[in-house]
Amino acid sequence: MRSRLNTYFKVWWLTAANAAQSAFINRWSNALFMLGKILRLIMMLVFLFLLKDRQLSIAGYSSDQVVLFFLTYQIIDVTAQIFYRGVYVFSQKIRTGEFDFYLLRPISALFRALTGQPDLNDALFLVLFLPVMVAVVWQLDVHITLPSLLGYLVLLLNSFMIVTALHIAVLTIGVLTTEVDNIIWMYRDLIRLGQFPVTMYWAPIRFVLFFVVPIGLMITIPAQVLLNVPPSVNLGLATLLGIGSVIISLQAWHWALKQYSSASS
Amino acid sequence: MNLMPQSLSKYYRLFVLSWQNGLVYRTSLLIWRLRQLLSTLMALTIWSVIFTDQSSAFSYTRSEMISYVFLVSILQSLILASSLHSLAGDIYNGNISQQLLKPQNLFMHFSALEVADKLRNVFFSLIEGAALYALFMPTIIWPSLQTWFVFIIWAILGTVIHFFITIIFGSIGFWSPETWGPKFLFFMILDFTAGKLYPLDILPRAVQQVLLITPFPYLSYVQIQLFLGRLTSTQMAWGWISLLIWTVITWLVAQWVWTKGTKGYEANGL
Repeated sequence: MRSRLNTYFKVWWLTAANAAQSAFINRWSNALFMLGKILRLIMMLVFLFLLKDRQLSIAGYSSDQVVLFFLTYQIIDVTAQIFYRGVYVFSQKIRTGEFDFYLLRPISALFRALTGQPDLNDALFLVLFLPVMVAVVWQLDVHITLPSLLGYLVLLLNSFMIVTALHIAVLTIGVLTTEVDNIIWMYRDLIRLGQFPVTMYWAPIRFVLFFVVPIGLMITIPAQVLLNVPPSVNLGLATLLGIGSVIISLQAWHWALKQYSSASS
Repeated sequence: MNLMPQSLSKYYRLFVLSWQNGLVYRTSLLIWRLRQLLSTLMALTIWSVIFTDQSSAFSYTRSEMISYVFLVSILQSLILASSLHSLAGDIYNGNISQQLLKPQNLFMHFSALEVADKLRNVFFSLIEGAALYALFMPTIIWPSLQTWFVFIIWAILGTVIHFFITIIFGSIGFWSPETWGPKFLFFMILDFTAGKLYPLDILPRAVQQVLLITPFPYLSYVQIQLFLGRLTSTQMAWGWISLLIWTVITWLVAQWVWTKGTKGYEANGL
């Protein structure tokens, strides 16, 4: 088991090293990309602090509390992009037949497809972002306790499981239809709705964001727990849905592989 | 009887083909429009909940802010929608060669594609706008006929500026395939200078003044300010001057970069 994990880690490390080398070839593009990301983060924080300045609240949450929802969104979104960037190029792998080679190798095809292209830009962004996040949270007027922080960290793991399940679901659709690009960008737009507490949306949309594409479980619930606010969904149910989503997505992936008949050839 | 001059009919045909081509992949189109709808929905929801216990914020009334979000979503469908996002790749890969060999003005060719793409996006954004209107029931501010007239001209100028900026970015393909970095930065800046989430004038005055000397606010923001009647006559005059200056500057730069690129362009073995 341990040597198997080592093998997977070595494969991932090699892929990450290759992606890093590729990123260093296009230094200027990557630098501008990073600058764009930093600018987006700053401007969103500026907006939230302007709300604070005017003492405006959103759906019953103070602007300081809303900052925490936004920062939680950032952590989850950036982490998913670091590890699961392979999903964004999966349709190309299907169309060119490269995915067929993944199936022949003695390593999980899902692992290769999911983690195929780690994003160095986002990894670097996360390294820069975390100290900024701590500094921002430090000066917020929010009620955070040690148990709420621990609960938050546990629920972030649950969020990561849901993110994984959603990415596997996108890959599954890719295997069945060769179409990934639109779906993954749709997911990115949906997760962006989680920058703010999803409880603010119209009831049917709120339901979708909690139970269909569970952005609310990924972002809103952990942030509510951190803020010592009663969570909108029972924590047991949220965890159950997190674990359940991974199991269902894995089942769907294996089923889709059985339907696969090599799109390229 | 065909009343269109022969020289224009081929561009009209291109326009029709581009319009039809955009409707071939219906699921892609549907998802693309749904994505646009989501960002508008988020902005409308945020401002609606902010205004539930406020009558005004950042010098905007509820009607003004909701009108801003509605307008920006429709205006961006016109100004920012583009079919030329792959231009740099097409140049770098040599795919542009066949267009260069045809008896046509390439800028007219691009314009025909752009007009079709923009009209398609505006058409769908109006339908989405109607759906959102039914959902939020906002009070939209309507300007005078005279303001409408100026607004349309400013929107066209904004569209032309964005077209030239797209050509400039696309021209990078003559020298490098790496255009996504500068384009990403461009869209990030655009996101808060002409963004759906909030208008530029809620930012600190110093930031506004710096941004107003760049082309970004002229790609949606000033047009909407005009529509909402939030510009003084002096600001309107500056709006006209800035829009015209940026149209000329971006046109000259696009011409220069394109000419320089095509002069050194080689596509062996295609």
